[in-house]
Amino acid sequence: PVFNTNDWVYGRDAWFATAAPPDQGGYGLIVRVFEGRAKKVDGNPDFPGIHGKSDARAQALVQELYHPDRLSGARRATSRGSGQFQTIPWDSALQEVAQILREVGGEHAVLITGRLNASQAAIVAAFRKATGIRQAVLEPDEFVVLRTAIRRLFGVSTLPIPDLANARFLLNFSADFLHGWIAPVALAHAYGEFRQGKPGQRGLYYHVGPRLSGTAANADRWFPIIPGSEGLVALAIAQVLSTEGKAPQDRLDPYLTALGLDATRLASDYAPERVAPATGLSAEQIRELAHALVEHQPAVVIAGTSAAAATNGLFNLVATFGLNWILGSVNQPGGLLLNPEPPLPDLRVPDDAILSLRGWTELFEQIRSGTISTVLVYRANPVYALPSASGAREALQAAKHVVSFSPFLDETTTLADLVLPDQAWLEQWGLSVPDPGPGFAAVAIQQPVVAPFLDARAFGDVLLDLLRLLGQDQPWSTQEQATKALALQLRSLGRGSVTATNDKEFLVTLQARGGWWDEQSRATGSAPSTAAVQPREPAFAGEQNQFPYVLHPYPLPSLGYGELAHLPWLQGLPEPISTNVWQTWIEVSQATADELGLQTGDLVRVLTPQGVAELPVYVNPATQPGIIAIPFGQGHTAYTRYAEGRGVNPATLVAPETEPDTGTFAWAATRCRIEKTGRRARLARFEGMVPAFQLEEFPIVRVMAPKA
Amino acid sequence: MPRWGMVIDLDRCIGCGACVVACQAENNVPINTEDVYHQRRAIAWIRLERYWEGEYPNIKARYIPVPCMQCTNAPCEPVCPVYATYHTNEGINMQVYNRCIGTRYCAVNCHWHVRFFNFWEPKWPDSLKNQLNPDVTVRSRGVMEKCNFCVHRLVKAEQKAKTEKRSLRTDEVTTACAQACPTSAIVFGDLDDPNSAVSKLLAQAEQEGRVYRLLEDLGTDPKVYYLKKIDLEAAEHAATH
Repeated sequence: PVFNTNDWVYGRDAWFATAAPPDQGGYGLIVRVFEGRAKKVDGNPDFPGIHGKSDARAQALVQELYHPDRLSGARRATSRGSGQFQTIPWDSALQEVAQILREVGGEHAVLITGRLNASQAAIVAAFRKATGIRQAVLEPDEFVVLRTAIRRLFGVSTLPIPDLANARFLLNFSADFLHGWIAPVALAHAYGEFRQGKPGQRGLYYHVGPRLSGTAANADRWFPIIPGSEGLVALAIAQVLSTEGKAPQDRLDPYLTALGLDATRLASDYAPERVAPATGLSAEQIRELAHALVEHQPAVVIAGTSAAAATNGLFNLVATFGLNWILGSVNQPGGLLLNPEPPLPDLRVPDDAILSLRGWTELFEQIRSGTISTVLVYRANPVYALPSASGAREALQAAKHVVSFSPFLDETTTLADLVLPDQAWLEQWGLSVPDPGPGFAAVAIQQPVVAPFLDARAFGDVLLDLLRLLGQDQPWSTQEQATKALALQLRSLGRGSVTATNDKEFLVTLQARGGWWDEQSRATGSAPSTAAVQPREPAFAGEQNQFPYVLHPYPLPSLGYGELAHLPWLQGLPEPISTNVWQTWIEVSQATADELGLQTGDLVRVLTPQGVAELPVYVNPATQPGIIAIPFGQGHTAYTRYAEGRGVNPATLVAPETEPDTGTFAWAATRCRIEKTGRRARLARFEGMVPAFQLEEFPIVRVMAPKA
Repeated sequence: MPRWGMVIDLDRCIGCGACVVACQAENNVPINTEDVYHQRRAIAWIRLERYWEGEYPNIKARYIPVPCMQCTNAPCEPVCPVYATYHTNEGINMQVYNRCIGTRYCAVNCHWHVRFFNFWEPKWPDSLKNQLNPDVTVRSRGVMEKCNFCVHRLVKAEQKAKTEKRSLRTDEVTTACAQACPTSAIVFGDLDDPNSAVSKLLAQAEQEGRVYRLLEDLGTDPKVYYLKKIDLEAAEHAATH
């Protein structure tokens, strides 16, 4: 950490190891610091899985640190929801929050958080235990579905990671794994090795999904399908493997068990010819996929993003990931590596704290009815992220007390009475357990790379201060102390990459290397013993005759689901397929554009059973006819000068459909129609700044066939 | 003396834009606002281009990162009336900001569109200025700017080697884009050092027939080499692909 004032005087670079935020992967970073100011973020070359690499989101962490609209100082709202706040002393703010908790009691309060790093999770666990407060964690619902599918299929609570670097074939169902999803840097690095890491052996990648995403564009073949039919395609692949004798019984059994099927039903009900019409593929294409899986071993199958956001999302993920059982790819080199539990039990957020849309709706109902009167919110923005039908806004308006720990005035924080801003990630202590890990136990240490830039306090420090004010025992006095104490528990395990003769040496080595990992600590997992889910076809809100198109939202590679819309570098980074920036648009196919007489830049009205919005058109030649694609990310009504008032939040357009088993938000399950307005809008995009056509004689991007 | 060059493997590139943002962070490139895009004046020393090929459903989107090609016979150099654009002994095409008078002749003569003119004074909110890299000049209104292979990193590494009385080690230094690139599609190094990663990569790719340079027929001898993307259906395309 930065504690040496000489760093400020010498005019020399200093490099500090730290960790990425948990929702960006939590992997190890190094930060260049010059004269007390963070200048550049890169991946930690020592940290497993990422090999010193990073992505645009990690690069932009310095903009979070030095953001012009970051909150400094504790503050109190002049009136709830006005967006106007008065700065107050930290001690008063802490006393007020403690008084609130004392008055209402923990059982009538809820702590809503985003994803927590490991030491924050430990502090929150201690805070819960002492106060009895309920914890609710908000993360994109697709990951709730993914966690459920993985737990039921493989018996582990952590996310798995495909061993792409050693695979020869990747079959991906809709997951945007190179540009977002669960571990973009580790997976992108492995993808590079998959393609060109071994001379004479190039991995093959087939993508099955409704949209040619930035990830899908890299595939050797793209198989466009009807949205939500990923699971049916997977079942038909399993049927081909089974009936052609390419699936040994002991490998087929876990798959059939997970889906509550027997071999006879699989053979009769899910033959490619029967399934094909519901998927948009031909029976021959399904057979081609099945044959590719057995011809190119080792092979691995992954699925996610929109596949998980359908009304049959859990079935889609179980049926697709389950193919790894048939292929014998689970926990094998080049297959799907399961990850172990964190090395210390305290470092984990309990599964029951991560809520689905159904859980959120119930929670907000309890708040509206007064059962829960006090809401504490930390780095979560439910008012923006959840559909309005969840009742988030009304609940927060009705709550007696709302306290936010956000460093920015986002939509949820605007409704708070008190704001106790958190420090930036680069100013904090913490332990981070990447989820997914690299296939074995790994912990990154997060340490302050600069002295605090503004008057903010780490969330963990505030919780521990509150415990003190409430007269409760503090397990640690600060987030720093918690981090170090937990780190020393790692030492007491007596294994791992950091060895030391005493505690101080252990901590210094840990900080210098950026983390601790133990390649011997791996997960074994277990095959399912009961049905994880029943096969199910996707359903869509809206009648097809009124709403002829499927509205297909997708998270932006740069802005995700909108949580990074406050960072200008990421706003200005073109979306890889459309090259659009700074706004929301809809993507229509060339066929639809021709049919309706639309051109790029035409302003249209998008109508769904849920809502209406006016948006500019981008004619995307790779869009399937029948689908209207729309990116998440914009539509903020607050959240700094760079995000506020731009575009539309697709969560306001999609119906609050849910996946029945998990109760998660099925945001890819709404139909829409579009109406011309006769007006045009300026679409900010990179395309067209330089000539965007391939020269016929001398193509810009040259390709060649693989060597035989 | 090194001869710096870059190899970009299009079969590894995934179009993520990490190189673009890493370059912005390293080289104090101004924020590309919405207005800037509307005016078609976004500055990106390395940019990510996307090309379409074919028609739905047999359509492909292809990515290519494009930095300055660092031409050996750079067409941007002879047209500068004030010698603001010149060539270093190490093969880098440089821009002297305080010599530039903004004629923009160099930009007109660059076929790769990798030179950018500052039509306005670059602006950052005060707090964001804390991030600016002290090793890199913030360019003012009226001058050209462009990729220079992170020359400040090269100079710093060379000075360090000199202080330690040794020569620069193989692959001791790299550019910000290559450092960030998660798939290792971008590799930077000394083309004259047979042990460097770029030289080895080029030697291997030459054998596979994968090496080409952008607009190579113009004869400017660029020092950015591309490795062709592998495409299963390439044989069905035109022979030049």
